[in-house]
Formats: sequence, structure tokens, C-alpha cells
Amino acid sequence: MFSKVRKNSYGYLFITPFIIGFLVFGLYPVVNTLGLSFTNFTLMRGDGDFIGLQNFKRLFADTTFLTAIKNTWSLWLMNFIPQLGIALLLSVWFTNTQLKIKGGGLWRMMFYMPNLMMQSAVAALFFSLFSFYGPVNQFMVRAGFIPEAIDYIRNPAVMRGLVVFIQWWLWFGQTTILIMAAMTSISVSIYEAATVDGANSWQMFRFITLPLIKPVMIYVLVTSLVGGMQLFDIPFLLTDGRGSPANSILTNNIMMYMRFRSSQGHIGAAASVGVMVFIMTTFVALLIFYVLREKHDSVTEKA
Amino acid sequence: MKGNQALTLSVPLKKNYTVQLKVTRALIYVFLTLLLIITIIPVWLLLVNATRSTVEIQQGISLLPSRYLFTNYGILLSKGLDLPRGFINSLIIAGATTLVTVYFSMLTAYGLVVYDFKGKKVLYNSIILLVMIPMQLSIIGFYQWMSTLGLDDNYLSLILPSLASAGSVFFCKQYLESIMIHDLIDAGRIDGASEIGIFHRIMLPIAAPGAFTLGIFAFVGAWNNFFNAFILITSRDKYTLPMLVQTLRGDVYRHEYGAIYLGLAASLVPIIVIYFLFSRYIVNGISMGAVKE
Repeated sequence: MFSKVRKNSYGYLFITPFIIGFLVFGLYPVVNTLGLSFTNFTLMRGDGDFIGLQNFKRLFADTTFLTAIKNTWSLWLMNFIPQLGIALLLSVWFTNTQLKIKGGGLWRMMFYMPNLMMQSAVAALFFSLFSFYGPVNQFMVRAGFIPEAIDYIRNPAVMRGLVVFIQWWLWFGQTTILIMAAMTSISVSIYEAATVDGANSWQMFRFITLPLIKPVMIYVLVTSLVGGMQLFDIPFLLTDGRGSPANSILTNNIMMYMRFRSSQGHIGAAASVGVMVFIMTTFVALLIFYVLREKHDSVTEKA
Repeated sequence: MKGNQALTLSVPLKKNYTVQLKVTRALIYVFLTLLLIITIIPVWLLLVNATRSTVEIQQGISLLPSRYLFTNYGILLSKGLDLPRGFINSLIIAGATTLVTVYFSMLTAYGLVVYDFKGKKVLYNSIILLVMIPMQLSIIGFYQWMSTLGLDDNYLSLILPSLASAGSVFFCKQYLESIMIHDLIDAGRIDGASEIGIFHRIMLPIAAPGAFTLGIFAFVGAWNNFFNAFILITSRDKYTLPMLVQTLRGDVYRHEYGAIYLGLAASLVPIIVIYFLFSRYIVNGISMGAVKE
């Protein structure tokens, strides 16, 4: 007994590297970013003065910031909803015992592949595919879908759609694997019992499947949101790195980067963008987690 | 699920039902095939175009490879794109990041699973919270802090943050809990092994499959990471592969389509190979990282 208690203090030894790593490379940078956001620090001067909330005031007066926030949200929502939809559909099909879809593992494996692709290469790839003399125009013109080549790269609607498509393309396989893993873990006997009670397939999906995969759906939602609010590689590399055309794909992180790499290197101002997005994302993520989780717990308690 | 109704249907209707099921199934296969084409075609076009000359690429789409692979490579070299260098740089960073992530995440998770100490629950809850917080958004403060430490333009600033990778610790904790045999640890103690010795010589070998799965994810993530390297690395000879790929967009390569595609292909192929070798580990690993309650 005595030795067991003594051994337990070894736990601290095992977690020390994590704690040190977190303090130095995780927590301090957050604190430092917050500190910088109250200064006019520039890389050129290598120094800055405390200017209070000036950066934030300027940020909210700047309509591009609101555009960036709006863009980031809409680009995320427009790819997340179809992502989840396809994932639910595929998961229902693959786990359905009557349909007996063959090669479930192989399909899933292929659908997941884009997720591992280097995003900077993917952006450059789609840039080439959609360039004026690129394969997409060649195909569309030759097949007679369009009379003459279109300058996709200068079209805001097309570029926005393309970012959404690429993000969907990158992530729908991962979401499918997660949702399907959750559905597979549901015991068949629950469905059998529901069948005996005369439930139809929609009722079973709505009242058995959905509530039981809820924890995984929350996980998917929150991690996707946190990633989506930091969207950078694809929109940055797809056009000129400034969210062109017409700021249509300007995201939070692109804006932060533009401040960072401005001629003076306004890292104080860049930090304020990071802080605002950090607060917004964390707040929404925790809110989703909290609201949905509470409901989930009360349902299981009643049942 | 629709089929469950069949239990209560009479025989003639049942035949009708099988036809309907067959049609549904056929439609699903058509849909899946379309989805598969959408998934593969961009990557396939990329690989094929890497072997075609610029003239061929401008003439039209082909799904079959041509014979200009080495010509394209020659063009890349002549334009001064040091692909092998970028490859080695990325390999160094991804390799080191993988080792640090796997070893220290396992170490931390082992501490959480095996020992009961004060503050353990707080630490564990913080780790779950950290998974949900967008730490990347502190990159500005991170950059400035690394400059102060003299670690900007240094690979250490890309590798060392993996000491505290919340998602990986979470993964390892889930994994260790599923394979943990406490008797083995006690046996090790009786044999006089030290606590850290038990972790190294007993637990790590048992946890090898989980460590391997985590390793693949850590490697791919570090290999593909663009943003952090783009902010922190400034010397041209330290550029990683994603950073080199980004320079392919420049004017120097304006009309060298074949060469551009080859440059992109070179950065994707290693990952495609890893995926086809280890897809089973990867697909199973994804759902292991998810929150399970």
C-alpha cells in the first residue's frame, strides 16, 4: 500500500515533458500573442509600444475583417453540410445488412485518400486544372458545354465554389469513416427490437441511429469548425495569396498573414486578428460542445 | 433497413421487393462509382501530366501517361528547383516530429493511465479542452517568441511543439487503456525494473501497433504542414517540400506545365505509397482518435 502511493508520484515524472512542452510552445505563445495584440509592434522596428485596444478598434472599423469572417464561416458551412450529408448517406448504405454493399472497406479507403494529400500541392493542382489553358477549359469547350474558354481564376463565384469543393473533397472521406465507425458500434439487437415494435427505416434512423452517433457527430462538428476557422492553404495558394478575386476567398488566416508580411511587418495588428478569431472559435466550439452534450446526457438519464 | 419490412410481407410481394432491392443496390453502385471518379481524377490527371510534355498538355486531356518524365525533371533542375533538397528537409522534419510525437505522447498517456496522482483529472480535462482550441491562431506570438529564443528559421521550432500534442496524447490514452495489463507492470516491479524501464521495455513493445498508427498520422501531418514552416522558415536552402511546391506558382514556370505537374507529383507520391502500404492502420486509426463516451 505504502509503495503503491509512492509509485504514484512517478506519474509527475511521466507528464513533465508534456507540461514543459505545453508551457513553452503552447501556452506562452498564446499569452504572447495576446500581449502583442495590445501593441504597435513591427518586425521592422523589432519593438513596439502599448496602444491599448487600438488594434481591435481598427480591426472592427475595417470592412475587410468582416468580409474575412463572413467568408471563413460560409466557406466552412458550405463544405461541412454536404460533407456530413454524404457521410451519413454512405454510412447508412455501408452498414445496411439488407443492401450488402460489397467492398465497403475498399470504397472507404479510396474516399479517404484525398485527405492525406499535401494541401499546398492540391491548391496548385486545381489552379493548373482551372487555368485558362488548363484541362477543365479544354474539356468543357471540346465537349460543347461552353462556347469558349472561361477565365475561372478571375471569377469570384467559381473560386468560392472551388474552395468549397476542394475542402469537401479533402474531408468527406474522413467524416464518413468516423460516422461509419459510430454506426457500426450500435448493437444490431436494438434494430431488431425496433423492427418487432413495427418501426420503419426512417424512424429507426431518426430515433436510434442519430441519437447514438451523436457524440461522434459533435466531435466531427467541433474539430471541423476549429479547422475551418483556420482555413489557409487552399484559398491562399489557389489565387494570389490575397483572397482574390474581389476578396471572395479572403479568410481570417489569410488576413492575419497579410498583416504579418506587410512591408513593416505589423505583428501587433496581425496578433489582434489571431486573438479575435481565437476567441470566436473557442467560444463557438465550447458552446456547441456544451449545449449538445447536456442534451445528450439528459436523454440517456431518462432512458 | 428497408428490408426489415420483408419479415411481415407475403411471398408474391417479397419477389417484388427483391427487384426493388436490386434496383436500389445498382443505383448505389453507380453513385459510389461517380464519387470514386471525383475522388481519383484530379490526382490521376496530376500523375499523368507529370509524364507529358507542355505541348501535349496544351493539346488536350489524356488519361494515359506519356514519356517526358525525365525531360520535365530536367526542366525543373534547370530552373533551379532543388527538389531533392526539399525532399530531404521535409524528411528530416517529418521524421523527427514523428519520433517526438509518438514517444512523448505515449509517455504522457502512460503516466495518465498507470498512476494516480493529484491533478491528474485536471490535466486530462485540459488535454480534451486543448483538442478543441485553435492553438494555431497563436502563431504570431509563437513566431515572435521563437525569434527571441533564436529558434526562428530553425527546424527545432517546427519539431519541439510536438512534445505537447494534445490530440496524440488523447489517442495514446485511448489505446493504452484498451491494451493495458496491470499485472505485467507489477511483475516488472517485482523483477526490480525501474518505472521508466517498465515503460520502455514492457509497455512500448506491447503498444507498438498503436504507436505505429499514430506515427503514420504524425508523419503525414508534418510532411504536409505548410503554414507553420511558411511563417518560421526563411532561408531558401531550408525550404520544405510544401514551400517549394508553392514557388512552382511563380513566373519562372509560367509555361512549363509538365514540370509543374512533376513537382507536385513528387510531393504527393510518397504519401500515396505510404497510404497504400498502411491504409488499414490509417483507416482504423482515424476513428480511434474520436471522442468516445
